[in-house]
Amino acid sequence: MRRALFAITGLAASTTALVVLKGSPGTTQVAQNLPTAQPVNPTGQVVDPSADPAVGPTGAAPKPSVTAGAPSSSPKPTRTTARPSGTKTTAKAPSAPRTTTKPPQSTTRRVTGPPVDTAKGYGYVQVQIVVSGSKIIEATTLALPSGGESDIHSGDVRDTYNGTGGEVVQKQSANLNTVSGATETSIAYKSSLRSAIEQAF
Amino acid sequence: MTHSHTHAAGRRTGTSSRHGGRSAAPVPPQIPARRGPGGRRLLAALLLVGLLASVLPWWLGTPAGSLRTTAATVTAAGRITGLIAGYLLLVQVLMMSRLSVLERWIGGEQLARWHRDIGATLLVAVLSHLSLILVGYADLRNHSILAEVGTLLGDYEDMLSAFVAAGIMLVVGFSSVRAIRRALPYEVWHLLHRSSYLVLLLGYGHQFSHGGQLYRPGPVRTGWIALYLLVVAALLWGRVIAPLAFNMRHRLRVADVVAESPDTVSIYLTGDRLDRLEMLGGQYFRWRFLTPGSWWQSHPFSVSAAANGRWLRLTVKVVGRHTADLRDLDPGTRVWAHGPSGTFTAAHRVRERALLIAGGSGITPIRAMLEELPPGAALIYRARTPADVLLSRELDWLAQERDTSIWYVIGSRDDPGPRQLMSPDGLRQLVPDVARRDVYLCGPPGLVEQSVRALRRAGVPRRQIHLATFEL
Repeated sequence: MRRALFAITGLAASTTALVVLKGSPGTTQVAQNLPTAQPVNPTGQVVDPSADPAVGPTGAAPKPSVTAGAPSSSPKPTRTTARPSGTKTTAKAPSAPRTTTKPPQSTTRRVTGPPVDTAKGYGYVQVQIVVSGSKIIEATTLALPSGGESDIHSGDVRDTYNGTGGEVVQKQSANLNTVSGATETSIAYKSSLRSAIEQAF
Repeated sequence: MTHSHTHAAGRRTGTSSRHGGRSAAPVPPQIPARRGPGGRRLLAALLLVGLLASVLPWWLGTPAGSLRTTAATVTAAGRITGLIAGYLLLVQVLMMSRLSVLERWIGGEQLARWHRDIGATLLVAVLSHLSLILVGYADLRNHSILAEVGTLLGDYEDMLSAFVAAGIMLVVGFSSVRAIRRALPYEVWHLLHRSSYLVLLLGYGHQFSHGGQLYRPGPVRTGWIALYLLVVAALLWGRVIAPLAFNMRHRLRVADVVAESPDTVSIYLTGDRLDRLEMLGGQYFRWRFLTPGSWWQSHPFSVSAAANGRWLRLTVKVVGRHTADLRDLDPGTRVWAHGPSGTFTAAHRVRERALLIAGGSGITPIRAMLEELPPGAALIYRARTPADVLLSRELDWLAQERDTSIWYVIGSRDDPGPRQLMSPDGLRQLVPDVARRDVYLCGPPGLVEQSVRALRRAGVPRRQIHLATFEL
């Protein structure tokens, strides 16, 4: 009986450990941003300490997952340092030549949602949106279930939701109609999209 | 040896008859070679590696960063516990496959203990798999949990059978909780436990139609199916083919039934090619007596004499309906045997000399083992009354022949004599080198527990204590 208790404790502990290890933020940020990193601004906005305070708040979304063209570092710590440096450099604000180059990069951002497991075990769905200002202008999928019948369902989902004129762009939210015949994939899509939208705005 | 005339006198009369043991005279001079714990350790290591391998596909197949939402985390935990449960179920069935490799290396008693502990773990794993997946999916879909149960049962193929499988497992698990099991008749419990095979069948489908790691064709799916096939093959081999071969070869039948005491009988068996029967004293078979009343149940009984090439004997205390029927067995009745099994043998000793402690009818395996132990063994035989002492003439003869000291300790557990003797000091006085001996224990649970405590306090290491017990 003592050994059974030991084994059950081991089961609980190892399951928790596995989930925690897999979900630890250190690994997730790097792994997730690397493939999606989009060098919109070659100068690297986040590493620039003299960011214009007027542009800063809009450009610097507080959520960590916004890809801002800094593939060298995880955005989380740099983002937090950007704020104090912004207030510190208010005196420096009139550095005019810089500010003029900023606006175009801060308006278009790519935000990636997490990969979401479909409830039937078909595979993962991961959505990426392109945001301009406060509007979603494009939706793409980085991962969709594949193989066998899944190819057809994934195709339907892609055709319905994705693109510059898909349902995501039309509705500007995650309240999408479920694609018939691809219920699980739609649900996972919406879940990933919802997270991406929460991060973007 | 003539049994026929004593047979009529001894049977059913309820009085003690002649002691059949004289014929055990040809003592095999050879002492079996030791079998180390290597095989058991190897198997245990293999099982552990398998456990890791069963979770590995999840680890490799889950993209980092996919566990950011609660739903995803809970579902992931559900998938892990599901994989573990699926693997443990296979291990559970494998352990009960009666494969001779397992019975020889691990031993039926140890297997039963593992089976119980893993069974408890399996039950917890299945319940957590079920509830975690339910909560995770419900959260993903913004459902209530009840609505999610409806979705799973309605829209998912193979899910209804998976729920039934979980239900069966729950019933089997709880009926095996010691207190509940004692309250149930053995036959009912056994039938319930048999239904576990249904779990294997009913739980199979949903693993492949909805298992995140097994859904897609690939090495993982193939490997999982191969594991299933392997276990089913082991089951077939251990439970059908091997016993069939054994019984075709030896064709055992009852030769005689002899009363040893008012409530104990010895059953002598003969058969073909018994000289080629590989068996060690202290091992047991699962016996099935092919009579109209009892062919359908099998019971484990130790053999009460070492292999002698001519006959087998089991000595059974009458405690239940089945054992009562054994008194009335007719000579010539066919017997289906399954075994031999068990690690309660001279071959599993780790020291040169042994102390044997028997209680009541627990003497039977020890009596058989005495013939194969190195000289210099000591035996303490506990019995409530002088009438409960079994096979005493054989024991006395063996004591002389094999240089064994025997103490008959008669009386209730609370009498001062037995109490003093079964204490650490008493044991040390009787057997001064007890800490350097193997100790073989067989008897009622109370005696075994008390003795183990006393032995441990007398300084006997755990690995030197060998128990013969079917108590789960």
